[in-house]
Amino acid sequence: MKRPNYLKGLRVLLAVLFFVPILLFFLDFTNKMPMDIHKLLHVQLLPAILGGMFGIVAVLLLLTLFFGRIYCSVICPAGVFQDMINRLFCIGKKKKKGIRRFKYHKPLNWVRYVLLAATAITAALGFSGLCLLLDPYSNFGRIAANLFRPSVMWGNNILADWLMKMDNYSLFHVTISTVSMAGLVAGIVALVVFAVMVIFRGRLFCNSLCPVGALLSLVSRYSFFRISFDKEACTHCGNCEHTCKAEAIDAKKLTVDTSRCVDCFNCVSSCSKGGLQYRFNPPFRKEEKKIAEAAMNMEAEPQPAVNSRRTFLATGATVAATLPIVSAIAEGVEQAKGNGHGNGHGKRKGRKKWPPVTPPGSLSLERFKDKCTGCHICVVKCPSQVLRPAGLEYGFDYLLKPRMAYLSSYCNYECTICSEVCPAGAIMPITVEEKKSLQVGIATFFINRCIVKTEGTDCGACSEHCPTQAVHMVPYEGTLTIPQVNPDLCVGCGGCESICPVRPMRAIIVKSNVVHQTIVLPEEEEVKNVEVDDFGF
Amino acid sequence: MKRRDFLKTSVVAGAALSIDFKGLQAALSTNTMAVEQAPEMVAVMGGEPEVMLDKALETLGGIGKYIKKGQKVVIKPNIGWDRTPELAGNTNPQLIKALVKKCLDAGAEKVTVFDHTCDNWQKCYESSGIAAAVKEAGGIIMPGNDEKYFKEVSIPNGVKVKSAKIHEALIEADAWINVPILKNHGGAKLSCAMKNYMGIVWDRRFFHQNDLQQCIADICTWQKKPVLNIVDAYRMMHQNGPQGKSAADVATLKSMIVSPNIIAIDTAALALFNQVKKLDMEAVGHIGKGEELKLGTTDLKKVNIKRIKI
Repeated sequence: MKRPNYLKGLRVLLAVLFFVPILLFFLDFTNKMPMDIHKLLHVQLLPAILGGMFGIVAVLLLLTLFFGRIYCSVICPAGVFQDMINRLFCIGKKKKKGIRRFKYHKPLNWVRYVLLAATAITAALGFSGLCLLLDPYSNFGRIAANLFRPSVMWGNNILADWLMKMDNYSLFHVTISTVSMAGLVAGIVALVVFAVMVIFRGRLFCNSLCPVGALLSLVSRYSFFRISFDKEACTHCGNCEHTCKAEAIDAKKLTVDTSRCVDCFNCVSSCSKGGLQYRFNPPFRKEEKKIAEAAMNMEAEPQPAVNSRRTFLATGATVAATLPIVSAIAEGVEQAKGNGHGNGHGKRKGRKKWPPVTPPGSLSLERFKDKCTGCHICVVKCPSQVLRPAGLEYGFDYLLKPRMAYLSSYCNYECTICSEVCPAGAIMPITVEEKKSLQVGIATFFINRCIVKTEGTDCGACSEHCPTQAVHMVPYEGTLTIPQVNPDLCVGCGGCESICPVRPMRAIIVKSNVVHQTIVLPEEEEVKNVEVDDFGF
Repeated sequence: MKRRDFLKTSVVAGAALSIDFKGLQAALSTNTMAVEQAPEMVAVMGGEPEVMLDKALETLGGIGKYIKKGQKVVIKPNIGWDRTPELAGNTNPQLIKALVKKCLDAGAEKVTVFDHTCDNWQKCYESSGIAAAVKEAGGIIMPGNDEKYFKEVSIPNGVKVKSAKIHEALIEADAWINVPILKNHGGAKLSCAMKNYMGIVWDRRFFHQNDLQQCIADICTWQKKPVLNIVDAYRMMHQNGPQGKSAADVATLKSMIVSPNIIAIDTAALALFNQVKKLDMEAVGHIGKGEELKLGTTDLKKVNIKRIKI
């Protein structure tokens, strides 16, 4: 007989309330979903830390201190996603091969705390590569943005084509253009890692690779509410151990490792005797009990808490010892950056490689690199589809971060969506008015490539697309006009570059501002009243 | 008896009084026009877009002359930019709304409106007010944002453009109406009826690469010509075109020119434009090149033009 388990039901309900809007927000290619959903992204822990939103961080840590790692089962979309993989895997399987396939393992403290420390230290030194690779939310984002979203769009196109035949244009054909090779690979790798780990070892990702899980585990081991055994009710059947995705329950010793427990409450519902309970049981109360227990049980092994504390200290020492290496790497990166914008020449390829243009609101390339975790929410939300995840072309420290790729589209003059949705503050919120005076780069005109000069024919596509007329047409030969750039008006939106018909190298290219500049908006021209009262023909 | 007579007379007199004298005048004027034969071009000035459209079509002999019952009709405005109607970057939505209604009233099976926009198409359709106008009038607003919607056709008379991918709505249409807005243009110098053709093709880069002015003339030789060109010059962008920066770029002319002759209408529109900003005919190369391709005449003296001021 199963007892009704409201805790698990509540956990699932809350998880759905967080997960579904986040997932739909990533998938929605019509931009019809309310923008306010982005607030759910701002409570993601690692982006919140990078974004300096310490209020949110404090609340999340307190939540964990009170209730354990409920974050991992409710707020974190990667956590919920892993639970869903688990659920799918269990379909049609017997309990032993399905939901009860887990067994207790010792915590991988070395792995998780080394990774946590390494992530924290490198991030502090301004290298966010580990944050980007390990952050669970960002990994989920990359799966949703690069795998799920294109699939949905593809489905939409099939449906749209079918509806189109019946003159129904409520759906329309969409072009999947924001998925880059790097993004696709990152999405597939993340999906495979999640799936394999979940199938073989449950929430192993959260308790080994995930720096957020590791950080929360440091708090959750002292949580006030926690799952513990009711020794009188327990019949030692082992069901709880086998249902524990975190593999944190040792049914022989009747211990629950709260540092790894993600508060899914599956164990509570698996026990028909009520042998496991989630209750107010703060560690200070437990200490007393422990002493009593230890006295009773002569064979008592070292407590996991003590054990892992020791590991943590050892880890800290190791990490401290490796610090010089890390800083050396960071320096190397720094140097590579220096080469990058020093003279604009990448040494390896021997040809011009300008640094990437970063979105308005990111303030500078360096700052953007430090803060961005590559979740790709800006990539999917950009209505112009101008943001594209980079591969390795700008170095490892720009991997998977979005750049303004003026390949076939450009940054809309009056749009600030990416700055609104960015959970890490890598793209700071800006107003439309602020954006109009932000210069992320400057259009650079190469007259010798321009159609007007090489072919002697009219073109002007660049000037046509320039919202500020920084690129304007001036008299050339005969009736021809040729573009000219006024850098003081240019915002670097890429309208000109995106439309320039010259190939392979375009005749007008936006050179990024490594530190974004502001321009002085020209005074509004006076509206003159033009009186015309005849046709003129 | 006398009283009866009196009553009879007054009834007749009353009836006579209630006769619409304007109608009689209109009948008279149409009679004289039938003698004069319907003009090839109508220019109207001084009214709201709907009113001017009414006047112009009436003068040309009614919409029924161009749109037949059961036809699939396409209206091709300029919706190139994410701009509100006041900034004159796109065709006037009131005009489009009235025109869609007219076509449906004339018995069109369906009226489809689209443009291959420059800015994000959804933003253009929305900001321009055209998507809403078309829906209100009962037409279909169709996307033109994807290569999927465009089909290859051959342009046998083109000099540079020998084939092009054209929006399938037009390929399937029985009749189409070209409804540009008159604008200054950085590349083509003037954006009007001929330049508006660039929104029916997919690959505009080819145009810019291969002599823009010639390509514009070439695409206008596509065998399926618009039954009418309606130039919206209610508001006209006289500088910083085709996108415009502010209201200072716009002059309110409250004008409209309607004609099936695309070269003549662009020539006339250029003359109208010249009253605000000077622009030489030679600079707008595509008009002359279009004349060479026998698309019409630039000699307005040879065109029967009816000018109406409201």
